[in-house]
Amino acid sequence: MISQFWAQYLISVLTEGAIFGIAALGLNVIWGWAGDFDLAYYGYVALGAYMTIVLTIGQPIPPAQFILGLQLPYPLAMIGAVASSALLGLVVGLIALRNLRGIYFSIVTLGAVYVLYVFASQYVPLFDGYNGVYGLINAMGDVLNIPFNDYPYYFVAFCLILIVLVFLFMGRVSESRFGLVLRSLREDERAAAAFGRNIYALKLKAYVLGAAVGGLSGSLLAAYLTAFNPSAWAPLEAIVLYSAVLVGGRGNIRGVILGVVMIFMVIQESTRFLPDVPGHPNVIPSLRLSTIGLVLVLFLFFRPQGLIPERRYHYHLPYVDSEPESDTQPPTEVVTTSTGPVHEAPGVSRASVPDILVVEGLSKHFGGVAAVDQCSFRVPMGQVTGLIGPNGAGKSTAIDLISGFKLPDAGTVTFNGVNVTGLPPHRISRLGLIRTFQTPREWPGLTVLENVLLAKYEPRQETLLRSLIGPGLGRHTIAEADLLSAREIMTEFGLSDLANERAGNLSGGQKRLVEFARIRMAQPKLVILDEPMGGVNPVLGERMAAAIAGFVTSGTSVVVVEHNLPFIERVAHQVVVMAQGAVIASGPFESLRANQSVIDAYLGDEVGV
Amino acid sequence: MHELFLTLGFGIVSAAILSLSAVAFTLEYAVTNVANLAHGEILTVGAYAAYVVHQSTGNIVLSALAAAAAGGLIALAMQTLVVNRFVRSRAGTMATFIATLGMAFIIQNTLVIIFGAANVAYTIPQGAPMQVGPFLWTSTEIEIILSALAITAVLFVIITYTKFGKALRAVFQNRELARVTGINSGFVAAATWLLAGLVAGYAGFILAESVGTFTPYFGFSFFLITLTATVAGGLGKPFGTMAGAVIVGMALVFTGGYISASYNLAFAFAILAIVILVRPRGLFTKPGRSMFE
Repeated sequence: MISQFWAQYLISVLTEGAIFGIAALGLNVIWGWAGDFDLAYYGYVALGAYMTIVLTIGQPIPPAQFILGLQLPYPLAMIGAVASSALLGLVVGLIALRNLRGIYFSIVTLGAVYVLYVFASQYVPLFDGYNGVYGLINAMGDVLNIPFNDYPYYFVAFCLILIVLVFLFMGRVSESRFGLVLRSLREDERAAAAFGRNIYALKLKAYVLGAAVGGLSGSLLAAYLTAFNPSAWAPLEAIVLYSAVLVGGRGNIRGVILGVVMIFMVIQESTRFLPDVPGHPNVIPSLRLSTIGLVLVLFLFFRPQGLIPERRYHYHLPYVDSEPESDTQPPTEVVTTSTGPVHEAPGVSRASVPDILVVEGLSKHFGGVAAVDQCSFRVPMGQVTGLIGPNGAGKSTAIDLISGFKLPDAGTVTFNGVNVTGLPPHRISRLGLIRTFQTPREWPGLTVLENVLLAKYEPRQETLLRSLIGPGLGRHTIAEADLLSAREIMTEFGLSDLANERAGNLSGGQKRLVEFARIRMAQPKLVILDEPMGGVNPVLGERMAAAIAGFVTSGTSVVVVEHNLPFIERVAHQVVVMAQGAVIASGPFESLRANQSVIDAYLGDEVGV
Repeated sequence: MHELFLTLGFGIVSAAILSLSAVAFTLEYAVTNVANLAHGEILTVGAYAAYVVHQSTGNIVLSALAAAAAGGLIALAMQTLVVNRFVRSRAGTMATFIATLGMAFIIQNTLVIIFGAANVAYTIPQGAPMQVGPFLWTSTEIEIILSALAITAVLFVIITYTKFGKALRAVFQNRELARVTGINSGFVAAATWLLAGLVAGYAGFILAESVGTFTPYFGFSFFLITLTATVAGGLGKPFGTMAGAVIVGMALVFTGGYISASYNLAFAFAILAIVILVRPRGLFTKPGRSMFE
């Protein structure tokens, strides 16, 4: 008798663990990888549960009422549940992910789940209000001829198979380029956009995927509970799920499973056998829940990365004997050795060179201030153009406007013959115009190698579908050729020893080198470097000047914004001078020394002629 | 016309309670940059403290004071034991925000352990309805409105005219700069949370009085409405928040009165979602500025 009790108990613990494990793996996509703290998540689990029941139990018997009332076989109902949750996720995501991040995103998703909760509990025709829906007993049990008493054994096996499948699925996503891209959004979305990623679409994809997996766990929960009603899913109790993901380790699927074991099995179950306090039925459950709340706070403070932190992935860099594959690479000696003057004749005849970038009449006002005002200039192909001007001249705003990070009020930007005015950043980036930022925007939680790898936008390799199909368990989406060129580039910039270091741990100068390595990897047609020398020691300056020359050699035109005028004089073929939002002069550096307006605006203060 | 004034009168009572709760929430945000998800629990603690005192003494004034005192203490504890530590360790806004969710959960469940999950109610007589101009209010409701006005006036004076108020605004504008210029931002934050807690604890008392019954969860659902009012008025801006509270309080009473009160939360969040999407910094700001710059 006792062993019978324990067997049933063990089965219920395993079933619940598997169901919440699936939910936690789904939450991990949204919170762990894409980095969005989604408070609506329990709503997707709940919707999946409700839908599963109304799709299987048939028409309501009055006075009960609910929607649909179909009698589908359970597997079809599961698909319906997953689809409903994904659809709701899509709607919420479309609204909340558009331009909200951080706490504002969380607040709106909190609102979304409460709207669902209020409708599920108040609007009776939906899911019969507070009564909820019930009657999904031993789903598929009759079809498969499973004896009533044995059903829990079959069901736990089904749940365990599903969690293994979901785990394998997530493992592939985690190892793949798609997973890597998602994590880069979490680490720095501006940089991700600058390297061609459509942030909104990717975040939405992650969100819908997470919601769908939530719906799947909900459909299992419905079959396990046989009924579902508002008291089964007070939205705030989702905190148990958040604790599990946090305690185990956000971003690490093994950690997430460990977290579920710790929170759902250890804490929940260890309090289950405490003696009840007579007359106070809520004491033990509440004690359990406040313990979980306390664990959440303590972990956030003392170990926010969780018990098993996100892994630093190591990639096997194939070692090849020098020759065959290097013919696609630009000669590296030019970059590493040339430390003298970068160009011989700083006044190359401009007429013969086509323009890669043409900016005309660009304007941007902030309130009453014209940050950029009728700004026009040209950037010749295959050269280095310096963009200088005093602080507040509008250089950074101009870069934001050209690269799509801000929308211009007026004017046009033509890049490589294409009008790119008003295009979103990722579209401009994909056309071959990549910009850097004043402060290095590396993806701090990713390794240096991953930072370099992801600089190359690979539309076919980094889809979700691609990560699921193929022999390499996700790894196959990271091409060997890319690993090879990444390795070569890291060697070139002296980063090889740091390949597996998290980029966030590097020094300021090393981060600049990572940015240069990323540009090298991306091989854009034009790169706009926003103050690459900021906070960099002069020795590294040599290296950067050489690297800029290297960009040109490998077919990348360069615009460099810099306050360090000797540096500009050295690397730039020609210079554009901005002041008060407009271009006041342009031409070879030499010619500007004599230009009175330039001296007044800028040079007068800085060098003194 | 009569019904309109009836609804309007009820709207004024709701707005009065809501504006106290919302101002307290916005003050917490202003000095720590954290949206305190456990704000509703300050109200709940206040309501239960008043309940305990009223049970043993039967004195309404003492009960109200107990609510404020308990609210102030719990807010101060939240600030010094949790929020301030997170802020000082540079754990990031998001971690602090999630920690406040954990606090809400801990407090709710601790209250369930102490008081049980069942509804409780004060035994304070509401008093007969009186005609005040076009409105019909009970004496309790009149007390609520008058006390809310008085507290708002005191807060206005503190924020606008005292040295402490100046320091508070300085910390909100630029925490680092305030620190460099010699303002003890830790002290200002703690004192502000204490002040906010006093107000929120009292708001919990009058809310419980006006609703009739309450449970350990009632503060959280009211918090969701508070959040709407605050975001509508502008997070961190006390006077904008008061205006937001009046607008949201009225909007809810009218939609509740004419459609159905059961959907109040859903309406609140519909308002919230629209406000956040259209004017993320609050209704009284210029449109089009992104909050992420």
